[in-house]
Amino acid sequence: MGAKVKTMDRKGASFQERLYLIEIFKGMATTFGHFFRNLLDNRKLYVRHYPEVQPEIPVRWRGRHRLTTHADGTVKCVACFMCQTNCPANCIMIEAGERLDGKTEKMPVKFKIDLLECIYCGYCVEACPLDAIRMDTGIFSVTDNNRESFVLELPELLTTPGAFSEEEYKKGGA
Amino acid sequence: MADTIKLFVNGVEVEVEAGKNLIDAIGAVGIEIPHLCYHPALGADGNCRMCLVGIEDGRPPLVPACKTPAQAGMKVLLDAAHIKKIQRDVMELELINHPTDCPICDQAGECKLQDYYMSYGRPESRMTVPQVQKSKKLDFGCGVVHDQERCVTCGRCVRFCRQITKTGELGIINRTDDARVNIFPGRPLNNRYALNVVDLCPVGAMTSKDFRFKQRVWFLKKAPGICHGCAKGCNITIEHNREKYQDDIIYRFRPRLNPQVNGYFMCDAGRLSYRQENEGRLLEARLSSQIRPLSDVLAACNQEIERAGKIVVLLSPNCSLEQMVAVKTLSAKLGASLSGFSDGYVKAGDGDGYLIQDDKSANRAGLTLLGIDCTQETFEEAVREAQLLINFNNDLTRSYTDSELKKLLKDTKVIAVATHNDRLTAMADIAIPVATSSEYAGCLINCDNILQAFALAVSKNQQPLDIGAIAAKLGSPLQSRAEQFAELRKYISILKDFEADTLPAEGLKLNDSEAANVTA
Amino acid sequence: MSLLDSVMIVVRVAFSAFIPLCFIAVCVWMERRGAGYFQDRSGPNRANIFGFRAAGLVQNLADAAKLIFKEDVISGHIKHKFYFVLAPVIVFFTALVSFAVVPFADTLVVGGKSYIMQGIPLDLGILWFLSFVGFSVYGIILAGWSSTNKYGVLGALRSAAQVISYEIPMGLAIVSLLVVYGTVNLNEIAQFQGKLLFGFIPMWGAVLQPIGMVIFIIAAFAETNRTPFDLAEGESELVAGFHVEYSAMKFAIFFMGEYVAMFASSAMIVTLFFGGYQVPFLSTATLIGQAKPVAFLLMVIIPVVMHFFAGWIRRSNVSHYPRENDPRVFEATVYIKCLWGLVIFLEIVLLAILFSASGGATAHIFVVLLQLCTFLVKVTMMIFVYIWVRWTLPRFRYDQLQKLGWQMLLPLALLNIFITSAFVVALS
Repeated sequence: MGAKVKTMDRKGASFQERLYLIEIFKGMATTFGHFFRNLLDNRKLYVRHYPEVQPEIPVRWRGRHRLTTHADGTVKCVACFMCQTNCPANCIMIEAGERLDGKTEKMPVKFKIDLLECIYCGYCVEACPLDAIRMDTGIFSVTDNNRESFVLELPELLTTPGAFSEEEYKKGGA
Repeated sequence: MADTIKLFVNGVEVEVEAGKNLIDAIGAVGIEIPHLCYHPALGADGNCRMCLVGIEDGRPPLVPACKTPAQAGMKVLLDAAHIKKIQRDVMELELINHPTDCPICDQAGECKLQDYYMSYGRPESRMTVPQVQKSKKLDFGCGVVHDQERCVTCGRCVRFCRQITKTGELGIINRTDDARVNIFPGRPLNNRYALNVVDLCPVGAMTSKDFRFKQRVWFLKKAPGICHGCAKGCNITIEHNREKYQDDIIYRFRPRLNPQVNGYFMCDAGRLSYRQENEGRLLEARLSSQIRPLSDVLAACNQEIERAGKIVVLLSPNCSLEQMVAVKTLSAKLGASLSGFSDGYVKAGDGDGYLIQDDKSANRAGLTLLGIDCTQETFEEAVREAQLLINFNNDLTRSYTDSELKKLLKDTKVIAVATHNDRLTAMADIAIPVATSSEYAGCLINCDNILQAFALAVSKNQQPLDIGAIAAKLGSPLQSRAEQFAELRKYISILKDFEADTLPAEGLKLNDSEAANVTA
Repeated sequence: MSLLDSVMIVVRVAFSAFIPLCFIAVCVWMERRGAGYFQDRSGPNRANIFGFRAAGLVQNLADAAKLIFKEDVISGHIKHKFYFVLAPVIVFFTALVSFAVVPFADTLVVGGKSYIMQGIPLDLGILWFLSFVGFSVYGIILAGWSSTNKYGVLGALRSAAQVISYEIPMGLAIVSLLVVYGTVNLNEIAQFQGKLLFGFIPMWGAVLQPIGMVIFIIAAFAETNRTPFDLAEGESELVAGFHVEYSAMKFAIFFMGEYVAMFASSAMIVTLFFGGYQVPFLSTATLIGQAKPVAFLLMVIIPVVMHFFAGWIRRSNVSHYPRENDPRVFEATVYIKCLWGLVIFLEIVLLAILFSASGGATAHIFVVLLQLCTFLVKVTMMIFVYIWVRWTLPRFRYDQLQKLGWQMLLPLALLNIFITSAFVVALS
């Protein structure tokens, strides 16, 4: 016997349960308990007062993307297309070009992430061989009123800072 | 089928073709022997040592499979521990100085070194000394970019330049881990087949400047095709991809093996002719320089045809046989004079006797076979008498200068059924867009009388009709490709045995009597 | 007809027409905040006017503004546009009119004349209510059918079958009730319940007819299409059922119709089973006789209640996160001041009654107002039960619904009639 087997009794067979009304009153007593408790003291509501109280974002939370940079602020990404290849939502659109600053040969000329299509699975981060794309901005709320602004372009991806320090991020095991 | 012999691979008996080396013989039955330097067109060199196998007949314990002819009864050993070890060790040796450039390397995805690393090696690097630094991104000329660090010095490119083009621009200089491929100072690659070294290179040392960073190869969809650049009709692989929200675009042509026609290679001009499929295309039907729906334009064409007294129909020598037959029946029905005049497509003296031909049209043999008049005199005479010229994609600017053309066509209305939005199309009164060679299926006859079929490769977002379909809309009785093919059988008797989609991949060699069967 | 006659007619018609409408806002507010508290969340509490959110009531204004200004779509595929528009009107109108016969206070005797406190003083009473509640389902059926939408038609069919199934037990429950009360006039029924059983138990329908009450309440839930009987909407399987094609104010009228129906059937349940407007243990005659002690008692009770209520407001109406100069504290202070003002006003009114002539018109009017308040409090509590049930019970499966109606409620109601009749015959 590998798995533990727990036999559950089927409810609703006894006469008292089949009367139904008694069980209804029990249920109503339960809900009224919640109502009355919350009515007396509304601090007991299980509510976060968003947007005034912001949730704490853990390091491993997959938020909006950003592209990391070298120390001198140039893009780390070499446009290897691993993220685009792995993206299950097909939301990454890269255009590669020659890199002339001597760091490497290839770099992205365009790097677009369509946040409306992104499913925030984090495969792009896992696929990246150079730690060039991360989802550590801590941005969880992406709102706007036109479609175009949901397509992140290279400058925005590069300038968004990470929300955590390098040590925290590494320790987060991402 | 050549003679076959039987031999044993890992104790299992296989039947292979005689007269080949072990790599080719066993490879033909689906058992792969890893190799880097050997290429069937370039012969065995035996420098990479990746193809070392064991033969259990008293020979030295290891022999290179590329240098060993397959013989009957041979007992080839591939999966023994010592073979595996040698493969692993060779991989480790090759990778000592190989940079981890895969993310930025165009070859990644079709790289032999990458594949073999995954299937034969997977060694962890044991190196503690820094890698040997060599030059990267060297421009070798002819659109070839070389990266010496990635090179495994298999010498395929060197041998190609020596044996095939006989120009010998490349050589391997220095020795041991400093060995590298290079050009002679000030003498870059200078031959018309130079880009073949990019295909030959098993790793990413040779890359094409034209294709560089355009696409990752695993995104590309591969479709077989025929190059329409000259009368040779080289077999190619059309590699195309439809990026998100965009149109299906061809990124490169690569040669496809056909021993009857082109072997393993193709010329650079043909390789780069993919650009014409993408650029400068005529996309919308025009009626006297106004964009109109195709149905309106076709109706206007039919009116013009009814109004005109005499009509000349001009065919391009690049059309497929099906299209030619369709246009031929159309012109017979309209009572028009049909011409295939295309002298401008011939560039005398350009051919080199290997793959490049003088004639830059793909199907002139087809025009001849269908008995279509191609002489300049009859064409000009017909145009002078006619009120309407229907030009099926024949680039007259190749045959005439602009002023000559204006003079010739001054009293003639022109319907241009064209692929490209060029000067000639701009001159026309009515322009109808049609598919290019990658966007339809058809047959061609090349300069050696080999009939080759090709299938539709690229589907655009708005796929234009092909010339056969336009001819059908203008009144040709042949409404479908099947009907066109049936008509074609009247001219080429050997096609009786085939259907349009069952023609052999390597092409049909037409004999002289069929080629001469002009007026049948 | 004297001026007083006309004023009384206007007052009672206005009352029975506008109180249900006012209660729409209260119901929606109770529903949403109640649902919040039942589910350990807070419900709508953000909409405000100059920072005053009135415990979430301002949200109703926002919703109303939204629904009024939304585009009123009538899809092109709808052929019978007249019926399509008529359907919500029927639902709303029947719900509103069914309340008209409910008495909200005992007959007022002023200057030797008696005035009935009912919107429409009909002797039909309960039958009027039954007929209009039954009629309201036509609106739903018409809506579903004229939507030319499969979900709409399915919802309408469910609704029709459900109403047929539950009108019978409802009617039978009332039959046994009528056997006890011996009248169909609702005012007489309410007056009957003012008496005391054995001298200390109020002779309410709930006491005399417990089984009838259960059946009637269940059937009333079904008739108003409230959970657990809201299969006509069935979001999960029918999208929204009968009102799937409705938008903007036409949808709002359905929505309001549902709450008016809830109010009307709560009023009917209260009238039939919970003593109507009767103050427990105090019949109308007793109240008129003891107006001054009652008024004095109220003068004492109201400030005490207000004191605790003010404390509750002060505790509850604060921001539950660090905030400088919390505006909600100021808001609470304003509410408390307003309420104290109201209390002072009430105290003055009660003081006036204390010093007025005993047994006069003032006492009569005081009693009517007292009964009115009692009635509204009872109805509000019944509405709370509706909400409470909705956020407790899951929706029935359709076969369970029919099984309950035909196999449980119908035999139970018949049995109840037999037992009741036997008792009544034996006692008389």
